[in-house]
Amino acid sequence: MLPSFSYARPRTLKDALTRLSASGAHPHAGGTDLLGCLRDGVFDAREVVSLSDLAELRGIARTKDGGLRIGALATLAELARHPDVVSRYPVLAQGAAAAASPQLRNQGTVGGNVCQRPRCWYFRGDFLCARKGGELCYAENGENEYHAIFGGSGCHIVHPSDTAPALVALGATAVVASAKGSRRVPMEKLFVLPAVDIHHETVLAPGELVTEILVPPPPPGARSLYRKVRSRAAWDFALAGVAAVVSVADGKVTNARLVLSGVAPVPWRVPGAERALAGKPLDAASAAVAARAAVEGAAPLAGNGYKVDLVRGVVEEALTVLATPATPA
Amino acid sequence: MGSDKGDDDRLDGREGVSRRGFLGSVVPAAVGVAVAAEAEGAPKAVPAEPVAKAGEPLKATLRVNGRVHHVLVEPRATLLSVLREELGLTGTKPGCERGECGACTVLIDGVPRYSCLTLALEASGKEVTTVEGLMNGEELGPTQRAFAEEDAFQCGYCTPGQVMAAEGLLRANPSPALDEIRLGMSGNLCRCGAYAHVFNAVAKAAELRKGR
Amino acid sequence: MVELYWLQGAVPETAAPTAEMPPWGETKVVGTRQPRVDAYERVSGSAVYPRDFTLPDMLHAALLLCPHPHARVKAIDTSAAEKMPGVRAVLTGRSPGADVPWYGRGDKAASRLFDDHLRHEGDEVAAVAAETPDQAFDALRAIRVTYEELPFVLTPEAALAKGAPSLHAWGNRYGEPSVYERGDLAAGFAAADAVVEGTYSTACELHAPMEVHGSVAKWDGSRLTVWDTTQGVFAVQQAVAEALKLPLAHVRVIGPYMGGGFGSKLEGGKYTVMAALLARATARPVKLFLTREQEFLVTGNRPANTMKVRVGAKKDGTLTAIDYHSMGSGGAYPSGAGTAFLATDLYTCPNVRAVDENVAINAGRARPMRAPGFPQGAWALEQALDELAGKLGLDPVALRLKNVPTVSQRRGNQPYTSTGLAECLRQGAKAFGWDEARARAKGTGPVRKGVGMAAALWGYGGGPPSTAIVKLFTDGSVNLNMGAADIGTGTKTVMAMVVAEELAVPLDRIQIEHADTGTTEYASPSGGSKTVPSDSPAVRAAAVEVRSKLLALAAEEMKVPVADLALDGGSVVSRKDPAKKLAVTAVPGLQRQQVLVGVGTRGPNAEGKVVSEFAAHFAEVEVNERTGEVTVTRLVAAQESGRVMNRLTFENQVRGGLVMGLGLGRTEERVLDRQTGKMVNANWHDYKIPTALDVPAAQEVLSVDPKDTLCNTTGAKGVGEPATIPTAAAIANAVANAVGVRVKDSPITPPRLCALLHARGKVG
Repeated sequence: MLPSFSYARPRTLKDALTRLSASGAHPHAGGTDLLGCLRDGVFDAREVVSLSDLAELRGIARTKDGGLRIGALATLAELARHPDVVSRYPVLAQGAAAAASPQLRNQGTVGGNVCQRPRCWYFRGDFLCARKGGELCYAENGENEYHAIFGGSGCHIVHPSDTAPALVALGATAVVASAKGSRRVPMEKLFVLPAVDIHHETVLAPGELVTEILVPPPPPGARSLYRKVRSRAAWDFALAGVAAVVSVADGKVTNARLVLSGVAPVPWRVPGAERALAGKPLDAASAAVAARAAVEGAAPLAGNGYKVDLVRGVVEEALTVLATPATPA
Repeated sequence: MGSDKGDDDRLDGREGVSRRGFLGSVVPAAVGVAVAAEAEGAPKAVPAEPVAKAGEPLKATLRVNGRVHHVLVEPRATLLSVLREELGLTGTKPGCERGECGACTVLIDGVPRYSCLTLALEASGKEVTTVEGLMNGEELGPTQRAFAEEDAFQCGYCTPGQVMAAEGLLRANPSPALDEIRLGMSGNLCRCGAYAHVFNAVAKAAELRKGR
Repeated sequence: MVELYWLQGAVPETAAPTAEMPPWGETKVVGTRQPRVDAYERVSGSAVYPRDFTLPDMLHAALLLCPHPHARVKAIDTSAAEKMPGVRAVLTGRSPGADVPWYGRGDKAASRLFDDHLRHEGDEVAAVAAETPDQAFDALRAIRVTYEELPFVLTPEAALAKGAPSLHAWGNRYGEPSVYERGDLAAGFAAADAVVEGTYSTACELHAPMEVHGSVAKWDGSRLTVWDTTQGVFAVQQAVAEALKLPLAHVRVIGPYMGGGFGSKLEGGKYTVMAALLARATARPVKLFLTREQEFLVTGNRPANTMKVRVGAKKDGTLTAIDYHSMGSGGAYPSGAGTAFLATDLYTCPNVRAVDENVAINAGRARPMRAPGFPQGAWALEQALDELAGKLGLDPVALRLKNVPTVSQRRGNQPYTSTGLAECLRQGAKAFGWDEARARAKGTGPVRKGVGMAAALWGYGGGPPSTAIVKLFTDGSVNLNMGAADIGTGTKTVMAMVVAEELAVPLDRIQIEHADTGTTEYASPSGGSKTVPSDSPAVRAAAVEVRSKLLALAAEEMKVPVADLALDGGSVVSRKDPAKKLAVTAVPGLQRQQVLVGVGTRGPNAEGKVVSEFAAHFAEVEVNERTGEVTVTRLVAAQESGRVMNRLTFENQVRGGLVMGLGLGRTEERVLDRQTGKMVNANWHDYKIPTALDVPAAQEVLSVDPKDTLCNTTGAKGVGEPATIPTAAAIANAVANAVGVRVKDSPITPPRLCALLHARGKVG
């Protein structure tokens, strides 16, 4: 049962940002993550600020520079089927399609998907964990099968989003607004590790809202995909996944961006693996080398050592698939 | 909400009707109470943003199965609870009330969504279709008929949600392939495990819908 | 565990059948494919489930549960909650009438309705009734409880360790280990040419029915009416009457629809008694349903089990010895946790020892879950047999065929009324294309194919008591009155088909009243695959009695001997001279009497014989060796359940069994936090039941029908449990076949399989 909160549905973004600047105000986009958090008592909302009337936050359209402008309220379903996304940014369409369930994709937004709170069962459950202001990360010595093998320190959540890794891999930028103005934050810089801020997953200041996401034009010769492994074939978060954007020219990799999901508190870019591919033909051999490089520095907990093997497997598979000519660019 | 429907604007406007008057006329303990009639003769108000304090009901207009309902709902009231507790439409089932089972699936503007994760205020002004809305009088609609004929359920509790997911799928994709059916139905749990029958029912519903 | 489906105390007997009923030969209605008689209600949304039920002036209640695995209540302060808006009553163990023994009777009870000694997360602490659900839950947050937290144990091993905290005055064991022995185990292993040995485990599985547990309670003076989501209204009636010290006749329990139970709704729940107490305190009807999160903690589970198995066989596959040991936990309060039955009775084996241990832990109490103990037993035994086949170089099907029993060794070597195990194995293998599939290449890439199979029996074939009433009205329409719940298995439809068979009346002219202690006849709870074999003979007897009466009245009018008359369509027809016919509606005796009533009872089972169901399941999987992902691509189930009553619902129920078995094998696992003793996945995202994408679309169902005329007068046995027993084991065997790695601990998740594949050096 939901605890009580007040509700406002402003008609303009300006009014919305004003309301969101108040303490205890939370934005409601699709509401799927917000209402779950409120039911579970993850946090309280004094006021829920509905963004539903803000048409300016909707829509997916090509920009003048040939890139893409995605309104924060674009639903995951819209993203997954948008012709421009499907044809030019397969990694993003696949990421959106891999999230949640059909109904949740009809309701959940890209802004919400990127900014959703972690699914760690201690964080969501009846445990006062470090991220919620407590002393302890229960996962550290507890049931940590689903937890981070990279970037955990004092907190071992994994970032739950399937679209965020794709957006990082595509070099996208988030437009962030507040009552004081707006700024642009590269997606790669949007997320923070617990060592920097154990209570938040993004650099958003109180009252700030992601209003849109700008994706640059795909690099020439780019191939991309998102591959996700989960315990259940649908309606489940990633045990591990990879968003891969690889450009090939004259049979050689000219640029590669590989971002892992499900294994770190943020979408986890693996520069070592990217470097391993640079200048090499994209084939089984380079895929295997890159896959090994992808797990360098992994620090598994007692129950999630399998993720090291899983990441290797999923990266190798993704690159092998990208290497086959049948893969649409 | 309401920017395209003058009727809605009037009813949404907090200043439009004496809220105290409304509250005075209802059982004080009830959270969301269906208000009997159109608020006729209410003065036209300037559209204002809907705002409600915690625990304080707000007027909302719900269009459910082609009928307009004016209701008072507390901000935290979900569409699921209002459909069931206030409008008496108990075909829509609560399974988890946390978006993890699909039993509460309804169509909102023709698209399947979980009514347990939808605030009633967020559905205000939208077209909501529940399993009752697929009936043609006392006759089953084609999707419902297909579920009955293919025995696409056992205990039947998840069935209204399954039927609505199927209905939404078929409205968007009238001739789904088996893989598309399985994907489209992957947001509805069936603990009895009648999935294979559900797949058959959706395929049959696609045929029945074309034939009608 | 064997006892779980028997009633408490002596089994009441019902009178011998009232009419002669030779076994059916060819049937016209029974055995056909019939959509459910209540399909309309279920797809239209018009079916009112208890969760949907509303009464005028009704209050809504909510439960406060213990957040700790083991604690003692030092103080409860409800004063703030009582003053909250809309709150009408707060109930605790201190409230009048609330000091009720629970889990056992009188002094022997293991606990109370509200117990100060809280033995698992989820034990009940208080309940609130308020004007709205939100107000009730708001009030829960205002109840202040002071707990003394106690040390806890989460596994049987920890519970048996020296110095472990005791859950109960008598300690942590639910009885001494149960030991079954026959033959000479040592001699059996000495005679074996091959022996395999292994330790297997199954994770704790939760019933998780779609409709949460709960009740609506209403008093009329001293009489109580309860609308309950239950598999057995009479079981609830008895529990409530006992708890509230009411005459049975003053407790009416009604449960016409229910949203799944799988064994978790066989018994009366605390919530029902609490709803009744709150209703009495407020003099208003009260609705009390658990939340989904609470459902995971308090409404039962299939316990986790650890099974050590050792099996020996001759070169030709003849089993010589089985040594089986099972450790499980009924949870914080007494319940079954045994798994050994299959090991003692599925295959012919002269030398067997089987031990079941059951230990208390600080976690939710188990309840019977679809074939309690059997899927776990199959997980261990059937994987061990697969290993044995490999070791002996025998085909797994051939190994099992070598050891098919004709008698129940566990039950005094009595013969089965029928045994279809061999035919399940043969016909299942044929339909699956077993030999071809075994010979097929597994693939060379990272995705490997494999096939596996497993077999099962289920030990219960129903029996008395059961009574049913059939009424024939003047227009030829019929009313059937029976107490059984239709838990989604199609019971109502099957029973209507039985009536239609005997009275030649169309299904849509039959109305059914059922599952109401006030107005319908006694039936034991629907569960254990015994509803159809227990109740269909009673229904048949009632219909036959009506037919006899009708034919006798028609014979009078037609001046023809009764023996010459038969029912055909809506008419009574002379067999010798079909031109002589009389419409049923024109039988004067029927018009005079207005209604013909037949009362049918269930006779005893055949003496000296055992009724069992059999099954063999076949699975095909694809395993991604890079990731440990398993896709079940095809399932074939061959079932021997006697006569198939309704082919359509039979197939559906078997497929449901396959899916639930797939959940046990692939996705489902309760996770308790080792640090705090709390369940971390008490929701449907983290506790994963299969979705539409986890199950194969290809689920073939075969029925092996040995024409069992001895089991009962309809020849039908049960199918709900045997349809889920071997599935998980068959999938595990298929995975082992695909990648050469055997997953001995359920479920086979990517984490588990990925780790095992890596450990043997296949990954990366």
